[in-house]
Amino acid sequence: MAGFVIAHMYPDLLNLYGDRGNLLCLQQRMRWHGHDCRIKNIRLGEKIEYANIDMVFMGGGSDREQGLVYRDLAGRSDEFMARIEDGLPVLCICGAYQLLGTSYIAVNGQVMEGLKFFNFITRGAKNRLIGNVLIKACMDGDEISIVGFENHGGRTFFEDDTLQALGRVIKGYGNNGEDKKEGIKYKNLIGTYLHGPLLPKNPAAADFFLKAMARRRGVELDSRLDDYIEKIAHEQIKNRLLAK
Amino acid sequence: MRKILTITAGKILIFLSRMLGNQGTDFPGRAARTLYPGILKALAANIQEEIFIVTGTNGKTTTTNMIASILREKGYTLVHNTAGANMLSGITTAFIEASDLLGRKKFDYALLEVDEAFVPLLIKEVRPRVVIITNFFRDQLDRYGELDHTINLIKEGVRNTDIELVLNGDDPLISHFHNDTGLHCWYYGFAQTIYDSVESMESREGRYCVFCGHELDYQRYHYAQLGQFRCPECDNHNPDMNFTGNKLKMNPFIEMNVNDLFIQSPYQGFYNAYNILAAVSAARLVGIEDRTIQRAIAGYRPRAGRMENFIINGKRTILILVKNPTGLNQTLSTLLYDTKSKNLFIALNDNAADGRDISWIWDADVEMLADVKARIVYVVSSGQRSGDMAVRIKYSGVNPGIINIKSDLKEGIELAVAGAGETNYILSTYTALFECQKILRKLQKDDSKIVGQRQLQA
Repeated sequence: MAGFVIAHMYPDLLNLYGDRGNLLCLQQRMRWHGHDCRIKNIRLGEKIEYANIDMVFMGGGSDREQGLVYRDLAGRSDEFMARIEDGLPVLCICGAYQLLGTSYIAVNGQVMEGLKFFNFITRGAKNRLIGNVLIKACMDGDEISIVGFENHGGRTFFEDDTLQALGRVIKGYGNNGEDKKEGIKYKNLIGTYLHGPLLPKNPAAADFFLKAMARRRGVELDSRLDDYIEKIAHEQIKNRLLAK
Repeated sequence: MRKILTITAGKILIFLSRMLGNQGTDFPGRAARTLYPGILKALAANIQEEIFIVTGTNGKTTTTNMIASILREKGYTLVHNTAGANMLSGITTAFIEASDLLGRKKFDYALLEVDEAFVPLLIKEVRPRVVIITNFFRDQLDRYGELDHTINLIKEGVRNTDIELVLNGDDPLISHFHNDTGLHCWYYGFAQTIYDSVESMESREGRYCVFCGHELDYQRYHYAQLGQFRCPECDNHNPDMNFTGNKLKMNPFIEMNVNDLFIQSPYQGFYNAYNILAAVSAARLVGIEDRTIQRAIAGYRPRAGRMENFIINGKRTILILVKNPTGLNQTLSTLLYDTKSKNLFIALNDNAADGRDISWIWDADVEMLADVKARIVYVVSSGQRSGDMAVRIKYSGVNPGIINIKSDLKEGIELAVAGAGETNYILSTYTALFECQKILRKLQKDDSKIVGQRQLQA
């Protein structure tokens, strides 16, 4: 039995719309595979010991809270990016996803800097993009559907053609409501607007992270989990969206 | 003439809608507003004394109903919107229903439960004397963006009026209303109670100072983020209270003093203690005498979905409305106090009135269901999002083998009450609630018929 640790970054600040469900999902599934999985909360100013961490999770927050997080991470972003390059599994939802880009331009023209890990930009808009989403994505070589719920004012645009989206929008808005792209995928990092939370009703996406975590530790996940209930939840909303 | 026509049409629509078995609360008001946009303003002019608005995330319905029962006890006539019909259309329906056909019937008070986002719009049409704000918790955020935005909407709505505010002084998200609006504010809150904790256990809304953004220090938490707080940076702290709840006891029914007035209620739970405190504070502001307040609160019983009881197959069956993480936590914690084994039914819908975003079920501590004290033996997940609710329950640690999925409410309830548990808990979000209530009433009736026949045969 291996002991995995997932860092939950800024749980006091970034934790909207049931985001913690993603952590509960990863933790339980790792346990059902027979391994221990612990959540380590990282707060403002706290040191991140990457050597003892198997995955990083960051959720969404309001503008004010995202500003606090940016100031805390900006000074130490080089090490974070180096770990992402090295294959560290990372899941960033909504506000945390926006933070990975170059900047966020608010409706009133105010510019908030991003961590500049990827060359994309987010523009605020008055009306929010809200609703259930269905996308097609490729995970571990298989094409899968992913369902979730989005609720964001910002529109994200890639400014670098080599960036790879998490998936293609079938129903809903995605990054900006225009180019059919949703989220970003880079090595073992996923950034996305999908709340819901994302992982519990998309077990294939949860397994993407579990496998990456295990692989990096040289651990085999040999048991298959029974996803009967998860699949019903997934199909229920997928069928409803496709019927529209 | 247009007024009379609109009222007549509205009343007919209310009647038809009831005939069809609907609650008949939103549609007639909406139709009437299309026929005559000034209808609500015109009918509100019939209120002789005052209009009271109750808003906030939790406790609106119970608080409004308690104030209504105090005013009725005193003999006043009221316009009062019913549970959940708290947007402009529902409020218009309530005025039409209470009115005579000429639209001239006078009332002493109007007591309106109002959805947070509709307070500014309502204030444009009717002028309340008092706005009571119960609290701000995370709730159905998807409709309006984030909580800050909702609070600002209300502040904008009341600014530059002569409205008086009655506020929960234990909620740090409310404490800046006086500074930001300049209005006269009355505060209610609790002194130290034996149920307080020094550690917070629930969601984090409002744990940061609304003035400077610094994390707040809490001397004690009463309930969720409600408690005694101080900002170490700018010294923002609880206001001086006008109405203080003290000597609170829940055995399990609530007893307390509000200032020096002794209050007893058949209600349970700290959140209801806050509702009672808010209602008593409002009643005292109006000048209702002590004896009337005491009698009304003691006689006020739970209503539809607020722990309504049925007997089915000889088993106690409790119907409870759940609509946000706090409400679900409150319900789950009462399950832990009930020592009987349980069949659990939960209906999760995602219509507009439920909140389209159902991710809130992950913010609630559903893990309480996996506690051995909860004694859950059978689970049925139902409603439009039965799959999501079942997944949530599975990840809470409940044995997946006892979790069943039946989206149809009737089939789901019938399956649940056939489970091996000694008692049935039926939980439902708003738009499935009245359907669940109808199904339970029918099952209860069938049950008493069978019992009746058995007695005849014997």
